[in-house]
Amino acid sequence: MNKPIKSHAAGQRIPLVDGIEKVTGKAIYTADMETDDCLVGRILRSPVSHGRIITIDTSRAMALAGVKAIVTGADCPHTYGVIPIAMNEFPMARDKVRYRGEPVAAIAACDAATAQRALELIDLEIEELPACYTIKEARAPDAALLHDGKEGNIERDVHNEFGDITAGFNNADLVCEETFDCAEVNHAQMEPHAALADYDGERHRLTFHSVTQVPFYVHLTLARCLEMDTSQIRVVKPFVGGGFGARTETLNFEIITALLARKACAKVMMRLTREESFLTHRGRPQTQVKIKLGLAKDGRILATECETVQLGGAYAGYGLVTILYAGALLHGLYDIPAVKYDGYRIYANQPPCGAMRGHGTVDVRHAFECLLDRMARQLNLDPFAVRRANLLSAPTRTLNDLLVNSYGLAECLEKVETASGWNERRNDLPPGRGLGMACSHYVSGAAKPVHWTGEPHAVVALKLDFDGSITALTGASDIGQGSTTMVAMATAEVLGVDLARIRVVTNDSVITPKDNGSYSSRVTFMVGNATIEAAKNLRHILISAAAKKLDCPDEDVECTGETFWVRGSEQSMLSFAEVAQTALAEDGTITVKGTFTCPPEAQGGKHRGGAVGSTMGFSYAAQVVEVAVDADTGQVIVEKVWAALDCGFAINPLAVEGQIEGSVWMGMGQALSEETRYVDGLPAHASLLDYRVPTIVESPDLEVHIVESIDPLGPFGAKEAGEGALSGFPPALANAIADAIGIDANFLPLTPDRLMDELTKARRAARRKEAS
Amino acid sequence: MSEVLPDFTLLQPATIKQAIAALQENKSARLCAGGTDLLVNMRRGLVETQTLVDISTIADLKRLKHDQSGLYIGAGVSLREVAENTDIAKHYRAITDASVSIAGPSHREVATIGGNLCLDTRCLYYNQSHWWRKANDFCLKYKGDICHVAPTKKQCRAAFSGDLAPALMVHDARLEIAGPDGIRHITLNELYSEDGADHLNLSPAEIITGVHLPPARAVSGYRKTRLRGAIDFPLAGVAISCEKTSPENHQFTIAVTGTNSCPVMVELAAPLSDTLSDKDDAEAFFSTLAKQVQKTVTPLRTTTTAAHYRRLAVSAQAEKLARQLWRSTS
Repeated sequence: MNKPIKSHAAGQRIPLVDGIEKVTGKAIYTADMETDDCLVGRILRSPVSHGRIITIDTSRAMALAGVKAIVTGADCPHTYGVIPIAMNEFPMARDKVRYRGEPVAAIAACDAATAQRALELIDLEIEELPACYTIKEARAPDAALLHDGKEGNIERDVHNEFGDITAGFNNADLVCEETFDCAEVNHAQMEPHAALADYDGERHRLTFHSVTQVPFYVHLTLARCLEMDTSQIRVVKPFVGGGFGARTETLNFEIITALLARKACAKVMMRLTREESFLTHRGRPQTQVKIKLGLAKDGRILATECETVQLGGAYAGYGLVTILYAGALLHGLYDIPAVKYDGYRIYANQPPCGAMRGHGTVDVRHAFECLLDRMARQLNLDPFAVRRANLLSAPTRTLNDLLVNSYGLAECLEKVETASGWNERRNDLPPGRGLGMACSHYVSGAAKPVHWTGEPHAVVALKLDFDGSITALTGASDIGQGSTTMVAMATAEVLGVDLARIRVVTNDSVITPKDNGSYSSRVTFMVGNATIEAAKNLRHILISAAAKKLDCPDEDVECTGETFWVRGSEQSMLSFAEVAQTALAEDGTITVKGTFTCPPEAQGGKHRGGAVGSTMGFSYAAQVVEVAVDADTGQVIVEKVWAALDCGFAINPLAVEGQIEGSVWMGMGQALSEETRYVDGLPAHASLLDYRVPTIVESPDLEVHIVESIDPLGPFGAKEAGEGALSGFPPALANAIADAIGIDANFLPLTPDRLMDELTKARRAARRKEAS
Repeated sequence: MSEVLPDFTLLQPATIKQAIAALQENKSARLCAGGTDLLVNMRRGLVETQTLVDISTIADLKRLKHDQSGLYIGAGVSLREVAENTDIAKHYRAITDASVSIAGPSHREVATIGGNLCLDTRCLYYNQSHWWRKANDFCLKYKGDICHVAPTKKQCRAAFSGDLAPALMVHDARLEIAGPDGIRHITLNELYSEDGADHLNLSPAEIITGVHLPPARAVSGYRKTRLRGAIDFPLAGVAISCEKTSPENHQFTIAVTGTNSCPVMVELAAPLSDTLSDKDDAEAFFSTLAKQVQKTVTPLRTTTTAAHYRRLAVSAQAEKLARQLWRSTS
């Protein structure tokens, strides 16, 4: 057998360890797991936006040959929801329906054609109620209420104030206020939703596969809704084709599939159409942001006041958290001495919103960076100069008690300013072309977990056995971001062994340690640290075994991972296999674990909602966008983007670059062309043709710069890399458009038709001015 | 997962004659070549048929020839082949522009000229799933009583969304149609009716077999208004040809798609005369051209993008294209 060649792993550009499976088509996703004994599941969805269910008669459907089970709201009296104190949604509607597309019943049948026919045979009688679809309609005094006890259809309102706001505005040389309207967007992840539930009728056990980002939450929710003991449920996450927050909570179809499987005592495969994936939604809500800034004439921000209204759809879901995030991350990017925030999360008769990359912070950051730029213009200050006038100094704590231990924003600014030729080129661009910039940041995981059990926030196990292979066992959910690769690399780095010696086993609740899941960009920071600890524990065992065999104290052992020797005596070299064997001889198979917990001081302030936004560290980003605008058609072409992200340390620069590109690109989608559109609550966007994710033709030249501020608490100094750059793109683009054609747009997306309207308005105003 | 395809029989005739016979025998049969539009509509429950007549392998439909008599393109020729043809790019540029703009590369590989000419009309209230349309009480085009776009009238306003038709129209194309009674030739204008629910003037057993264009005397181009640079159907599209009819006169022929239920020709009062030494007169001509485009097209709310934008954008693109073509002939 060839000796593996040792390489230092962290900081290396490593293709994802599961990349080969993905590009060759070998990767098994949930929908691929169909077998001949699977029943086909389909969901019947409410055709009405708001109503009282009078009857659901399933008798005709049940009589159809090939139909094995039918469930309705009557089969599950338990609400569910990702936030334990805000669970007001049933997997299938009971008593009331609140959006078109809401599940009301489901069928398991022997094949797809039968299931489809059976849906038509369910008789649904609903007494319609008035519906509301906009912020204005929902908040109207006579609006029909979606939920009892929620006056004004307000799911949650948040108010906080830090520092002296009045003094801040009084001392300011310039005070401006603007309102921005940001359309609702959807994750449009490549893989449509699917779930596979296998109920063993003999042992009363459930095995469950799905597209989830949070197998742990799914596990708890299934136990609750099926009234089963968690020990009798097994949740496995296969390959997942994208999450972005679409799957950071248990979804109704997952519970429904499990209910069907149990009722039929069978295996049920539920595959949602793209339209149904859009109806399941959980995207970024339509948001109205009113922002007011007070600036000194040197550009320092003296006060910030922000009112945010989010139209959250029919159920609570993540709503409370989203409206809190919107205010929390007003802090942490710049040094602002006074901040006031008022947030309102509103119900409407539309599919429920949820978490989406940048969770709650994106639309607020957009408004902030746009207004800041406009005020810079009024004060005759360069946008970069204004940002530089407001930098934080790490280590510090924000006004709302969030931790800032590393802060690479200054370097990010420098990088993109230089790379884009900002100073040389900005005043020299041809007509219709512009440069714009913006900054952004995001958390490296929510420091306070959703379920406060007292357990560590991450646990990783390592196993070493007779074959010399090291297996890392983790519940970390790889959703394409490369968490599996990160675990392998962290293990390889600490042990010094070759990456090829390591395998990672993930997401099987009977095998792998629990992990809270892939959300808020927590995995690299928390699971990375847990992996490092586990690997250190294993290294300690191996060093001790080598010391024993070499007959020397532990501290005299030198180790490059694949070889061990006594310092000063290279001829004593032992191979990894020999050392492992010695270690195994002690007590057999070696299993170690490592854990990580966010310390209490990172868990946010004592004020209400203070945990949201709490994190071990923020990533920071700056970006410049160059745009060309056709003033005759309103068409916007993004010519080039320069983006710099401070991720603390790039454990895998290849993956980090991919994440920066992806987050910038996703921000671009929201900025240019993505939006959901409803017609009386029916989605007019529910296909990848109508929901306009940019194509490769729109994709600009994207130059990525990695900045490393080396966070003292991060794994190898790393922080998150997947979300920080997203919320900087929309304002950078808007600012570039303002530079190009002199239009300050207060809406997203910046579609040609809307820009044309602005251009027409501007031309009319100019003609009127000329005339007078 | 997509919706389940209904059961159907696939017939694969080897010749045009056999295809016509198959259509005659099966009254509700639909023709299928690339199927890139048909199958999507079938999955959505918009097509009621038990039989598909697959004409994708009929060799007689795939001829592509350019010579002194002009250009002949068989209806079964793929969009990719048309898009890549250098003769067409040189002499009938609008056709190249249009072909290249359709859908994406994988569609163009199998999609055909005939298919694009016979593309079903589109509307945001029509191109939806069965569940969606049922929840909305269907529509005038299919299974319902009301046109949701123009509820006070009893006419379907679904928009014709093919890109090729206007490009062929500005080059005086003639269609070759085969049927039980033999072969007939018509212009593209004669193929279409302005009725979103019934826009093709073809008898059930007729097949478009090819399109013939006379030798090119004009330069041409096609510009597509859409939000993305690929995949999207036209919010509007304009084809223009510019012919120097005399040493001093430039004749513009303009056809627009995507706005009405069929492609429409835009009538201009007069050609552009080069004797107009005054630059302002030329400006006035192009400004009038743009206004005429705006007056001719009647886009309605068949898309989520506002109708007035489609009108403004297509006229702006028409003006720009007309100028470009004029300059290239001067």
